[in-house]
Amino acid sequence: MQNKKTVITRRDFMRGTLGATIGASVLGFNWPVSEAKAAGSSLVTVVRDKSALDASNKVNSKALNKMLELTLSKVTGKNNPKEAWLSLVKPDDVIGLVPTDHLNQTHDEVVTAVKSSLVNAGIPKDKIIDAQGGPRYPEKCTALIALPALKAHWLTGIGTVLKDYIMFSGSPDSYHKGNSAKLGEIWNLPFVKGKTKLVLVDSLYPLCDKGPQPDPRYQWAYNGLVAGTDPVAVETVCVKIITEKRKALRGEPWPLSPPPICVEAADKVYGLGTSKMEEIKIEHYGWEKELLL
Amino acid sequence: MKCFLKIVLICLTIVMAFATHEGVDAQMKPNYLPRTIGAWTRPESPEIINSDNIFKYMNGAGELYLGYRFDHLEVFDYTSENQENILVELYFMETSDDAFGLLSLDWGGEPVSFDGLPAKSSDRLPKALYGAGLLRVWSDNLYIRIMASHETPASKQAVLDLGKAVTADRKNSPEPELLKFLAPDVDSGWKLRRDRQSFFRSHLALNSVYYLSHANILDFDLSAEAVIASYEQVAAKEPIRSQFLLVKYENRARAFKALNHFHDAYLPDHKKEIIEDSSAKNLSLFKIEDGWTGYKLIDNYAVIVFKCPDRKSARTIINKNEVNLEGNHKR
Repeated sequence: MQNKKTVITRRDFMRGTLGATIGASVLGFNWPVSEAKAAGSSLVTVVRDKSALDASNKVNSKALNKMLELTLSKVTGKNNPKEAWLSLVKPDDVIGLVPTDHLNQTHDEVVTAVKSSLVNAGIPKDKIIDAQGGPRYPEKCTALIALPALKAHWLTGIGTVLKDYIMFSGSPDSYHKGNSAKLGEIWNLPFVKGKTKLVLVDSLYPLCDKGPQPDPRYQWAYNGLVAGTDPVAVETVCVKIITEKRKALRGEPWPLSPPPICVEAADKVYGLGTSKMEEIKIEHYGWEKELLL
Repeated sequence: MKCFLKIVLICLTIVMAFATHEGVDAQMKPNYLPRTIGAWTRPESPEIINSDNIFKYMNGAGELYLGYRFDHLEVFDYTSENQENILVELYFMETSDDAFGLLSLDWGGEPVSFDGLPAKSSDRLPKALYGAGLLRVWSDNLYIRIMASHETPASKQAVLDLGKAVTADRKNSPEPELLKFLAPDVDSGWKLRRDRQSFFRSHLALNSVYYLSHANILDFDLSAEAVIASYEQVAAKEPIRSQFLLVKYENRARAFKALNHFHDAYLPDHKKEIIEDSSAKNLSLFKIEDGWTGYKLIDNYAVIVFKCPDRKSARTIINKNEVNLEGNHKR
C-alpha cells in the first residue's frame, strides 16, 4: 500500500485542522480567551519592571534580581527563592543552564542572576554548568533550566522555548523548515526527558521579526521574564506576545510567517504540555504598559 | 607560425589568469571601506564567509542567502574605545537581482539615497533603507547590512557614511525584469502595492513573506525566479488584499510540472484542469477557504492568485497580468 506523505499548507491552518493556536498566529484569527480566573492546568507568570532596562537598554541587575525572586515565588508558590529552588531541584543535582547563544541572545545578566540565586539557595557552584550545546551537555545533567530569549524565527516561526534545545539533538539542521514541527521530539530524548525543572524566558528585549538576522526595528523593551514549568504553555504565551506586538507595529494582523507549527505539535504529538490558551493560567505582575496579553 | 600561435596562446592564458586573479583580489581588498569612520576603526582585512562556512557564522540564517545566488560574504567589525561596534556585512551575490531580492523581503524603514536622486519616489523602489541603527542597501550585485549595536546620532552618521562609501562608483543596475511584468493597475479598482513586492528563488523566502507550505510545492530552485506582490482594492472601506505570484522557470516543461505539483499539494480536493497546451481555456479557478485562488500556465511562467473576494477578481488579476507579461515580452 502506498504511503502518501501529507504536506502541510496554508489551507490546513485556514480549515483549523491544526488547531486554533497556530491558526491565530498564521492568519490573525482571534485568540481563544484565556480565562485567568478559571483553574488553568498550566501556570505561566509574566513579571515586568519598567526599570529593568535603562535608556540604552542595559540591564539593571538589581531590578532583574527582584523580578527573578518574584517569578520563582509565583511559579512555585513558595515564600522565598531558596524554598522555590529546592522545590524544583535537589542539592545534589547537576544543573544545566541552557541560554540561547545566537540571534537574540539571552542576556548574560539573566544567566548570572539565575546562577547566583541557585548558589544562594545552597546549590554548590560546581554543580551548575552551562549546558547549551551538543548532546553531551544534557547527558551530564540531572536537571535543566531552559533560559531562552523571546524571539521570532524565520524558519520556525517562533524560536524561543522549544528551539532552545535544538543543539541537544546533535543534528540541528534536521529540525528546520518543515521539520520544525518535530522540535518537541528533542525534549523527549532519553537524556533530556523529564529533566527540565523551569522554563524562564528572557523577555527583556525581544525580537518580533524579521529574521534571519537581528533587525533592531523589531526589538523592543518589554522588560519581562516569562516563566513556568510547562514548556508548551510558556511558548504559547510567548507566541501571543510576539503576535500582538507585530499587530501593534503594523496596525493590522501581521501573522508569523512561517507559522510556528512546533507549538501545537509539542502538545498534540509529543505531549509536552498544553498549547490551548483556555488551559493556561497567566499571572502577570508589575509594569502593565503594552502587556500584549 | 605554429610556434608563434602557441606562444600567443600561452601569453593570453597568463594574462587572463592574472586578470581573473586581480578581479577577485580587487573584490576582496577592503579599499572600498574607510579605515576609520568617526570614532570607529575597522580591521585590516575582512572575515570571509562562503557557502561552506556560512552556517558556522550565522546558523540557520545561512539558508536565506543560499536560497539566492550567493557568492561570498565579507564582514568587518568596526570597533571604538568608547562606543559600541558597527558591523558591516557585504553580501556578494552572483546577480543584481539576487541582491535586490534580499532587500525586497522588507521595504520598511526610512528610504536613503546615495546616488543624488530623491530617496522617496513613486516610480521607483528605494535602494537603501535605514531604521534603528540598521542600514540595508542594494547596490548592483551587493547586498549590504551595516548595523550599529547601539544607535546614537554619531553611529547613525557613521553607518550612513559607510553606506555611501561602499556604494560609491558602483553600477546602477535596474530592478529585476520580472517586476516589470506586474500590472500596476487592474480593472475593478485593484492596485499593485509597490511596497509589498518581493523577489526570491526559494520557498523559504516566500514563506517568510507569505506562508504557502513548509514543503517546496512549487519546485523552486536557483534556476527559478519569482515575485510575490499584493494587489489592494483601493475603493473598499476595509482594505481587501489579494496575493499575486509570478514564477519564471527554465522552460515550459518545468513550469508545467511545478503547477501540477502545486495543484496536488494545495488543491487536492479540486479537479485538475491544467493542460500542457497553452490556451486561454486553461485558467483554473477554485473557491477555497479564504476566497478564490486561480492559476495559469503561460509559456515558462506560472501565475497564481490567492485570496480574491470573487471569481471575477481572480480572473481579472490573472488576465491583466498575462496581457502585461506578453506585452513586455514583445517589446
